[in-house]
Amino acid sequence: MFAKLSRTFKSGWKNLIRNGSLAIATIGVITITLFIINVQGATVFANNTLLKEVESRVNISVYVNTEMSEAETLKIKSEIERYPEVKSVEYISREDALASFKELNSDNETIQRAISELGENPLGAALNIRAYNPDQYQAISKKIEASSFRESVLEVNYQKYRGVIENLNKEIKSNQRMALTLGITFSVIAILITFNSIRITMYAHQKEIEIMRLVGASNNYIRLPFLWEGIFYGLIAAIIAIPLSYFYLKIVATGDASGSVLPFSNSRFIQSFLSGYFVENALWIISSQLFLGVLLGVISSVLAIRKYLKI
Amino acid sequence: MIIYENVSKIYSSDSPALMDVNLRIEEREFVTIVGASGAGKSTLLKMLYAEERPTRGNVYFHRNNLVNLKNRHLPQHRRQIGTVFQDFKLLPKKTLGENVAFAMEVAGKSNAEIQKATNQILDIVGLSQKIDKYPGEVSGGEQQRAALARALVNKPKVLVADEPTGNLDPISTWEIMQLLLKINEFGTTVILATHNKGMVDKLQRRVISINKGRIARDEAMGKYCI
Ligand SMILES: Nc1ncnc2c1ncn2[C@@H]1O[C@H](COP(=O)(O)OP(=O)(O)OP(=O)(O)O)[C@@H](O)[C@H]1O
Ligand SMILES: [Mg+2]
Repeated sequence: MFAKLSRTFKSGWKNLIRNGSLAIATIGVITITLFIINVQGATVFANNTLLKEVESRVNISVYVNTEMSEAETLKIKSEIERYPEVKSVEYISREDALASFKELNSDNETIQRAISELGENPLGAALNIRAYNPDQYQAISKKIEASSFRESVLEVNYQKYRGVIENLNKEIKSNQRMALTLGITFSVIAILITFNSIRITMYAHQKEIEIMRLVGASNNYIRLPFLWEGIFYGLIAAIIAIPLSYFYLKIVATGDASGSVLPFSNSRFIQSFLSGYFVENALWIISSQLFLGVLLGVISSVLAIRKYLKI
Repeated sequence: MIIYENVSKIYSSDSPALMDVNLRIEEREFVTIVGASGAGKSTLLKMLYAEERPTRGNVYFHRNNLVNLKNRHLPQHRRQIGTVFQDFKLLPKKTLGENVAFAMEVAGKSNAEIQKATNQILDIVGLSQKIDKYPGEVSGGEQQRAALARALVNKPKVLVADEPTGNLDPISTWEIMQLLLKINEFGTTVILATHNKGMVDKLQRRVISINKGRIARDEAMGKYCI
């Protein structure tokens, strides 16, 4: 069993070497395919991370009138907490609101002076509302607009994140579509080319295959070298594609991304993201690239074997 | 035990290659099949290692009807039979040694086993000096002996040899015949197809004569007469 495996392994490797420039071209095409899939994957992944980041910052801030007492505000709070979409409501007292406003504008002397000149706290209390799900903010905002305490509320701030998220969502959708289209197109090309290389190997070994059959080689013994050949193409391509995409993403991450082919939305975020992305996900990226390479090779081999090695 | 039961083979409708052949070959028998060129000798042998299937009739090998042999059981069946092909079927890009070893590699034998058996069998057929030569670098007779070595290297129960002495001079022919007889003595069934009259007459074994696809004669101590 082991002898057979190692023999088919060796002849698969020999077949690949004998294919020479054809083998190089085959490996090249698979390498490009894996590279594109990897870089596109990074794009989608980066944008998804960005979206999550933005979404996690989304909340609805309800600014209450300055005349409202704490007790009244807390009543509104408990009413909002009863909405099924609401996960949590954070109460920010007038004092806390002022303190954080001062801190936020600590560099701005004009504002600091204006506040101290005012003498009293110009800010009302606020309620920060978080939903279970980012889709629910619109519904929550509508409910507040229609609520009985609408009169006590100065401002409902929700709109400002909506545009960002919508744009980002649109971008992610088009990214994904592009990633999918490119990935599938190149995979199909890679499979066709690898398939053809294996077919040519089979053609060159026609006589050997015939004799193998006549002296009683098992079907698997005849097939395995071609399967190995496909796997070798894919593995070698992955081994080249992994450092290639690493350096490429590093260049994009450290250098100027304006000339990049990547459709990145927020280049600074993406840059800082990508500089850590490859290393943080190295295990996953490397194993999935190896897996994909082998998969492409196996599909090509199996197709060639089924079409040209009728046993 | 090998049985041909009403076997016919029709490649093209105008002239059948075999017609209603009935034949029984016992274990350890030494059978020679003679007949003019195109009589159907090779076709008869090909049925045995299932390179061809009968158009009609049945071929039994140890009670298995080869007509019903599944493709996936074909390798197992062929490994029981050593075959010398009429056109040798040596691989031109492998040395004689590699060609012989090939039949063992395919059967999954270990490298040590293969090396030992290959050297041994090449020595027996008188090719130990040519082990690293390619088929294109040796004579027709030497190729033929290499083909015989490959057929024997797995120690098959049945040896099928289609013109194994076609290219040999009388002395080499006689040596090969002695070898086949010895193999037969050790328990291998030998089925031989040949044109070589002198050899057949000297053998004093069973001779089956085929004429235009039919068995014309089947004699226990036959002579070559067509
Ligand atoms: N694959 C094939 N397709 C069509 N016809 C074939 C095929 N193989 C053999 N034949 C025909 O069948 C007949 C028997 O051929 P076969 O090879 O069995 O003869 P043979 O007795 O072995 O001859 P020889 O002594 O020349 O080897 C011949 O007429 C041959 O032309
Ligand atoms: Mg013949």
